Amino acid sequence: MEGLSFEVLYPVGIGLGALGCGIGLGRAVGSALEAMARQPEIAGKLLVNMVIGAAFIEALTIYVLISKFIVGG
Amino acid sequence: MADAESSHIEMQHDTSGHAVHSDDAHAGEGHGHPEIPNFITLVKASPLGHSRVVEFLHHWENPVFSILALLVLGCVFKTAMSRAQLIPGKFQNFIEVCIEGLCNFFSEIIGEKYAKRYVLYVSGLFIFILINNYMGLIPFFKAPTSVYNTTLALTICTFLVVHYTGLRENGPIGYVHHIMGSPRDLIGWLLVPVMFPLHLIGEVAKPVSLSLRLFGNVMGEDILLAVFLGLGIAATVGLFGFPDWAPGFPLHFPFFFLGFLMSTIQALVFSLLSCIYIVLVLPHEDEHH
Repeated sequence: MEGLSFEVLYPVGIGLGALGCGIGLGRAVGSALEAMARQPEIAGKLLVNMVIGAAFIEALTIYVLISKFIVGG
Repeated sequence: MADAESSHIEMQHDTSGHAVHSDDAHAGEGHGHPEIPNFITLVKASPLGHSRVVEFLHHWENPVFSILALLVLGCVFKTAMSRAQLIPGKFQNFIEVCIEGLCNFFSEIIGEKYAKRYVLYVSGLFIFILINNYMGLIPFFKAPTSVYNTTLALTICTFLVVHYTGLRENGPIGYVHHIMGSPRDLIGWLLVPVMFPLHLIGEVAKPVSLSLRLFGNVMGEDILLAVFLGLGIAATVGLFGFPDWAPGFPLHFPFFFLGFLMSTIQALVFSLLSCIYIVLVLPHEDEHH
């Protein structure tokens, strides 16, 4: 066991990135669903805004994926 | 579901042809991920592939697909509006509904005063990115936005528009005032040494994130399709001993739908963000000077 080298910690970093984005997306979609349940007639507008917000949060996971290509080639 | 069926059968035929299995590796040369061959790489791998025309086309693969998308869009719009009538026929009506819907959507964000000037740029950006993304899902075509060059170019266009608008509408002094965080009272002016670097870093981070978001999503979906296509071929070759050139299981079929959804959403997010960046540098009329 060589200790905490780059090869050991890099996948942990990827996992942490995915974890953070998972939590963020869960909160965003959860609040959207709660608001839709409270007022079903604006569900369409809420859906559009939720999807746009989810695209921003998901972009953070995509940055992690891109870092894999930059580092690993 | 007839179109979905024919589209996945077309993808199976995409993988037929003996050169194609080795073509996955040829098409993916130069970067570490597998890539689905498109018609330019297929021509290059065939005996015709050493001519200068084909090598030129292969080198400029992505602009060729972008220009193809532009030509198709140009033909569609010209046909629709060439003999424009006051009471529109079906095709002209459809195009008008699309354009008007887009323009209304962006006008709400920009506001009435400046809407006329910028709404066409943003709607054009949306349609262009949408068609480019969809080209990744058509067999034998490639999405030009799946390489960083195209998305960086689009981002540079957007940021030229944003900064030119900021300079023109606010004047050079107003532009620097905006970057300093628009200080109005003493606290604002005291915080300038903090706000100025933060805002500058934001101005660098915004184009980087905008381009990387679109690039990562489209490239990721391309890789997903390529990997599952290869998996389908490997399944039939390994499990049933099919020859290399036979179409494999259509395991990549569900990812077409994911691809359509994500392509549309990313095109919308890119153009919406461009719109918001333009609105941020325009002078706000609701504040009292």
